[in-house]
Amino acid sequence: MDDWNYKPAGDFGLPHEEAFKSLKRESGLFSTALHWLWWSFVRTYLLIWHRLKVEGRENLPKNPPFVLVANHSSHLDALVLAAPLDSRLRDQIFPIAAGDVFFTNPAISAFAALMLNALPMWRKQCGPHALEALKRRLIDEPCCYILFPEGQRSRTGEMLPFKAGLGMMLAGTDVPIVPCYLDGCFEALRPETKWPLRRPITVRVGKPLRFDSVPNKRAGWEQIALDLQTAVKALRPAGNAQSAIATTVSDARGIDS
Amino acid sequence: MSTNERLFNPAHAFEHPVTCWVTIGLVIALAASPLMIRFLASTGRISDAHRQELWIRWRSWLIMTPLLVGPILLGAAWTILGVGIVSLLCYREYSRATGLFREKAISLTIVLGITLVTFATFDNWYRLFMALTPLTIVMILTVALFADRPQGYIQRTALGVLGFALFGHGLGHLGHLANDDNYRPLILMVLVSAEMNDIFAYLAGRTFGRVALCPHTNPKKTAAGSIGGLILTTALVMFLGQYVFEGTVLAHWYHLLTLGIVISVVGQLGDLIFSSIKRDLGIKDFDVTIPGHGGLLDRFDSIVPIAAVVFHYVNYFVGVGSEQPVRIWTTFV
Repeated sequence: MDDWNYKPAGDFGLPHEEAFKSLKRESGLFSTALHWLWWSFVRTYLLIWHRLKVEGRENLPKNPPFVLVANHSSHLDALVLAAPLDSRLRDQIFPIAAGDVFFTNPAISAFAALMLNALPMWRKQCGPHALEALKRRLIDEPCCYILFPEGQRSRTGEMLPFKAGLGMMLAGTDVPIVPCYLDGCFEALRPETKWPLRRPITVRVGKPLRFDSVPNKRAGWEQIALDLQTAVKALRPAGNAQSAIATTVSDARGIDS
Repeated sequence: MSTNERLFNPAHAFEHPVTCWVTIGLVIALAASPLMIRFLASTGRISDAHRQELWIRWRSWLIMTPLLVGPILLGAAWTILGVGIVSLLCYREYSRATGLFREKAISLTIVLGITLVTFATFDNWYRLFMALTPLTIVMILTVALFADRPQGYIQRTALGVLGFALFGHGLGHLGHLANDDNYRPLILMVLVSAEMNDIFAYLAGRTFGRVALCPHTNPKKTAAGSIGGLILTTALVMFLGQYVFEGTVLAHWYHLLTLGIVISVVGQLGDLIFSSIKRDLGIKDFDVTIPGHGGLLDRFDSIVPIAAVVFHYVNYFVGVGSEQPVRIWTTFV
């Protein structure tokens, strides 16, 4: 027989606007219903408007924890990456979004929390503390993260170097990291366009990588960033017009969507 | 009064003297409070921190009072809907504090139960209202089976049953009082006496309180506060009750005395019930939605048991809504 176990919500006792930003935020019945509605709509929209195709679906882990990483060139990216995942995991999937974009205005913050189920990453003050909190949640809960190691949206469609902050979170853990390549998102929603164009989008899912034997030091973090960058790049279809990516790894710690 | 008029027509809002007095009394109390706080602060009777807290509490009452009294004045339908919403919000606070919110199937069953209780009340279908308690309990026990996870089954379902008992069934009685022709003064009396009971006990405790009533449950409650609350609330209920129950058997002094004692004692017990729940969970407040007060459950804890007890007292002796047609909307079924 187990002991009595009462565990208040992770964001218990916080005012709404603080709860939306909290890395410990948990979904109740209301937000679960909103997530379900939102992601059903997104999935339908992507299938109809962008004829979304997923290649390598068998590489997606069935159960958490896992992390999906991909190239980042449009606001559609997080939606495209989360849509194919099993709807039973909906409350456990957290896109990691830029705090300064998605969590400063109360209305956008409510949307990011209640609909997208996003967690914030503060690019300018992202210290080891926040990364440790994210890592603990990923493993202990367990849950799934969607993140874009380039640290920002590419304005040209070319991949930017992956940042090492991701490595800080994942070095020495047994969590599978799934590299994905998003093809067509940039053409569907360029930075200068307001509404998505009717362009086909394909997600290529690669084999999961694990970094349990990589030391949790700078060299290890950079190695992880480089390995993932290479894995994502390898999923790019041959003959893609995008130019080769830089091979140097930035030592900045930011992670962004 | 016809059913439609009771449900939707605010034209009769101020027909009863108690409704007028309570509304005017609340307006005067809200208007006079700032002067009182200023007076207390200027004479040095309260500290700066205490003054700040009183201002925050006053501002919260300024918003809460119209939200509570408005629906009662507008019509029974709005009162019932308001009670339904408050029940759901109270369940939300309780489930987030206990962790029961993680059990989505149980929570959904309780939300459905509270919605059906609200509908049964709106329909004045007392038998369904009563049947929903055992039915929801059976449903909670059933849906919890589907996870096929016997570890913690008793705790999960017991927390669910307690949640529905308190906020679906218990608080649902407050809504059901709105099925009485005379619901406005009756509900206002219940709300005002429950809240004044807290204030009387607080003031009496501050003035005369020496001996703690149950220090482990709530160190702030004193025996003197409790007795002070009992005497003053009983007097308030006896005064208002003679008008509310005019022409019925409940207008006799011994009924009013009993009702006054019952409201005060049960109200204070309600306070202690929720204090015990909070102590057990290791939390100070249920939420931070009402500045200066905490959550809805921190403010209206005493009303949860009072609603059921007053309902059954009145229902036993004179009947609640007995002159109104039953099953207003579902006679075709």
